[in-house]
Amino acid sequence: MSCPVCEAPVLDGDSFCEACGHPLHAPRCAACDAPAVDAEGYCERCGVRQPTARDEAETVLDGGAAGITHKGLRRARNEDAMALLARGADTVAVVCDGVGSSPRADEASALAARTAADALAGGLGQAEAFELAGRAVAELATSPDDAPACTYVSAVVTGDRVSIAWAGDSRAYWLPGGSTPGGAAPDGPPPGGTTADGTTPGGAAGCVPLTEDHVVPTGEITAWLGADAAGVEPHLREFAADGPGLLLVCTDGLWRYLDGYAFPPGRTPLDLSRELLRHALDSGGHDNVTIVLIPLGGQHG
Amino acid sequence: MGDQPTFTLHIDQNKYLPLDGREVHAILTISSTGAVTTTTTAPAEAAEVIIVDTSGSMSGGKIREARQAASTAVEALRDGVHFAVLSGTDKARVVYPRGQTLVRATPATRKEAKDAIARLSANGGTSIGEWLLLADRLLSAHPDAIRHAILMTDGQNNEGPERFAGALARCSGRFVCDSLGVGSDWAPAELRKVAEALLGTFDFVRDQGDLAEFFRRITQTSMSKTVAELAMRIWVPQTARLAFVKQVSPTLIDLTGKRTDVNPLTGDYPTGSWGAEEREYHLCVEVPPGRIGSEIRAGWVKLVRPDTQEVLASGNVLAQWTDDLAQSTRINGKVAHYTGQAELHELIQEGLSARAAGAVDVATARLARARQLAAESGRADTARLLDKVVEVDPRSGTARLRPNVDKADEIELDTGSVRTSRLRQGGVGG
Repeated sequence: MSCPVCEAPVLDGDSFCEACGHPLHAPRCAACDAPAVDAEGYCERCGVRQPTARDEAETVLDGGAAGITHKGLRRARNEDAMALLARGADTVAVVCDGVGSSPRADEASALAARTAADALAGGLGQAEAFELAGRAVAELATSPDDAPACTYVSAVVTGDRVSIAWAGDSRAYWLPGGSTPGGAAPDGPPPGGTTADGTTPGGAAGCVPLTEDHVVPTGEITAWLGADAAGVEPHLREFAADGPGLLLVCTDGLWRYLDGYAFPPGRTPLDLSRELLRHALDSGGHDNVTIVLIPLGGQHG
Repeated sequence: MGDQPTFTLHIDQNKYLPLDGREVHAILTISSTGAVTTTTTAPAEAAEVIIVDTSGSMSGGKIREARQAASTAVEALRDGVHFAVLSGTDKARVVYPRGQTLVRATPATRKEAKDAIARLSANGGTSIGEWLLLADRLLSAHPDAIRHAILMTDGQNNEGPERFAGALARCSGRFVCDSLGVGSDWAPAELRKVAEALLGTFDFVRDQGDLAEFFRRITQTSMSKTVAELAMRIWVPQTARLAFVKQVSPTLIDLTGKRTDVNPLTGDYPTGSWGAEEREYHLCVEVPPGRIGSEIRAGWVKLVRPDTQEVLASGNVLAQWTDDLAQSTRINGKVAHYTGQAELHELIQEGLSARAAGAVDVATARLARARQLAAESGRADTARLLDKVVEVDPRSGTARLRPNVDKADEIELDTGSVRTSRLRQGGVGG
């Protein structure tokens, strides 16, 4: 054994390096694996700043619902935000994606997700929660040129029923039975799963889109939360599951890579969300990635 | 707490690197309040050695001015300071007190010292290294004091370059020495070596009548120091390399070669003693290639008291890779300013060396470029001196060296090039 910083030999039971005084049981670095992460969050060997809770975080609820948010590989910070709460037997999820061209988009998404989730958990309806979140984000602006903004998608799961509200291009999908433990892999197109032009929605096997993006053909979103989005109304939708399955709520950092993706069967929400994150990162991780999976209509681990 | 001046360390940099970016630059600004509120310790002890060149070339008016200047320095010593006065020829001799020790300044000892100084006469050679070695022997009896020497000379150092280099190496880090060159027969290169080795200033006293004022000012500055010796402790990542660390304000001093290893990743660089003042340092770290979006601490800087290991201030130099050119190409104003000031210094040094060696084309090109940089960065005095050495046609831009340059102008240009201008708000040097 040697000290991770000065390389002097150290004994197994030592707490500090006798040569340089470095603590020997510091947290391990995510980049070089040396037990050398200091209180400021930098590795004292390779210098890499350790990911913060905002950079990457996991949430799991008792009922099995799980969420992951991750900075991705190309962005300097995570401007996605998620909130995942239990309200009695119900589950509340809100996912927001900071609009990249706006200032302090990370603050906007965090504030919107927290505000809306608290409102929904407190019993307010989707439209009211959306309005509260929108007002909170609008108040972040100091001028019309300094207007933080974010997308919005929220879901409240009650038994086998789901209510959804959204603005922008963050999405919700229904993953029927096959991708949950005990279910069978779906054969052929999922129920109700073809669009007018005959393609599988979202391009992925075994998932049904529940939202429609507010975008123009060139890709810019046409609805968002922010001071410069006065009067924007959310789209609302009610959905009833006709069997066990998973509700997926995510940002474009994931769904941009779902084209042709086959959801693996037999995973818990947490395992599947980790696998989806790995897929997004392996595919390039160009944007922040946020994934929430909520089981409904059956028993889930 | 309580018996220390307060230090602050501020870091200016653009942390964003392009994807192939390997060099991280930062300017560290260290300020000290200098104010000491005494609790357990008395005000820092000070030890001062005044060295007067008494070689043969000093005879006549110069030795009279030197005696006057040394007396002025003695008067500027505050009560209780340990001091001695040395006369330097090809040997070094303690003029006051008797013997090989320092004495505390009192009205009586100051009077005796001035009487001894009044008897100084000029006779003999010049061996600056010998003078410094004797100063070091006397000062080393006061390891806890702020140790300082003031040295004046009017002539070329006669001792062998190896003896001189050996003496400088011996004294380096043991005391700070400010030096003065008088008249136009001394070589700035020699005193520059003293300044670099002993972290002091060196100045040209163009008019020997000003010598006393220079001595008084240097002694007063030395008396205002409240912290003996601080080290800048710099950590860089295992896979990185500290390319250079330089003091860039108020003067340029390259500290890169003065490293003392603390551990394989960390080194101490001496900064000398501190009063109420502000200094700036330029740091450059070569980092390994990084992944887009990832952020590293490329340098961890601490201002440390070597005797107690107490950290007085610290800061992080960061690097973050981005493919956003708007971020990575933004140049930090201070980094650009001091890079320019260092380039100006190098151009003047290279230009003057080339001129002395008869390489007219190189000298002309360097000095003309220096003239331009000096004007752009607000160094009006330097620009004026450059005008006396090189003539630039304002319309065609054609430059030529001036004949018959006053030796004193050349020395002033040479010695003054280490002084940098500060960056004014709004980005114009001043």
